[in-house]
Amino acid sequence: MSTGFLSGLSWGDPDANVIHVGTGEFAVAEHPAILMTPALGSCVGVALWDAFRHRGGLAHVMLPTPSESNAEGNRDRFASVAIPHMVNAVADGVAPRRLVAKLVGGAAMFKSDSNLSNVGERNLEEVRHQLDLLRIPVLAEDTGGSYARTVELRLDTGLLVVRSYMYGIREL
Amino acid sequence: MKAEDLSVLQIDALRELGSIGAGHAATALSQMLNHAVDITVPEIKLVPVSDVPMVFGGPETLVGAVYTRLLGDVSGGMLFIAPRAAMLALIDLLRNREPGTTKSMNADEEALATHAASILTAAYLSAISRMADLSLLPSAPAFAFDMMGAILEVATMDIGMKADTAILVLTSFVDERAVVDAVLFYLPDPDSLDIILGRLGIV
Repeated sequence: MSTGFLSGLSWGDPDANVIHVGTGEFAVAEHPAILMTPALGSCVGVALWDAFRHRGGLAHVMLPTPSESNAEGNRDRFASVAIPHMVNAVADGVAPRRLVAKLVGGAAMFKSDSNLSNVGERNLEEVRHQLDLLRIPVLAEDTGGSYARTVELRLDTGLLVVRSYMYGIREL
Repeated sequence: MKAEDLSVLQIDALRELGSIGAGHAATALSQMLNHAVDITVPEIKLVPVSDVPMVFGGPETLVGAVYTRLLGDVSGGMLFIAPRAAMLALIDLLRNREPGTTKSMNADEEALATHAASILTAAYLSAISRMADLSLLPSAPAFAFDMMGAILEVATMDIGMKADTAILVLTSFVDERAVVDAVLFYLPDPDSLDIILGRLGIV
């Protein structure tokens, strides 16, 4: 490791089927695509899946509501904005109630700073509240703790693969 | 203020602040450890915050990080980051041991890394506050050892995601046995960067 590492500014997934969901964004896709979002810390990954159409969405939400931040930028970074948007986009005309959800993330990365550590918890609270309003059941969760997670949503089976340095690979 | 708007003169001024901070931090660390450690700043760069994870090879890279919030006349955050191998090498250097001795991080090692990073952060802040005549206070440092992307997202969220530019201060810790490269990211909110440069008289 030397000064040279500053030059390596490229990063990508070689698998063409993998759709990369950036921080504060969401994406909707159908099988055989795989939705992936890396390095969830206090952010929450919200996966939605429609079993009939092998269709789903993955959101990487950063903050609970727009009242948290006045800064400009993508409003889909807020749970209260992104979830209704994504549910509409995934349902695409059918009843949202037939979708199911899985949640990942909402960790407290820096344990010793109490101000930083409860963002994850508040994110999870708002995400659950929004899903509840739309009557979408949460089937599985890998949330909380103090470690980062990367998730992949397989749209054929609704399988959510969670990777972390703490526990390796977990399947939800 | 965006990265591309900065002039050569302004980047020079920031580099000067970095060198002064590094000098003070080296003196402080050498006193604390009772063995000579030098710190140099070979490079200062401005990078968009969104590119910061790429500096270490992607958002999933395992890194050790110490985050300090800035309070006072300007707001923002300081993030000290070293990839896993560099973090372990830094512990060896701070403990004055043969490079390669430290294999993993335990609570003692986390505390030592946090301590060293907070000395570096405080020295850098005091250089800025003296030259720009601003009051800058660091909050208590917080340690994390995990994916780069997750650590950065917490830091940017904390300062309200207003920072679009990070000042990257490449920092080398040097003693007679080893050279360890780490990075100190200064994430100012855009107004704060204007205030600092304004106070230095180089807007």
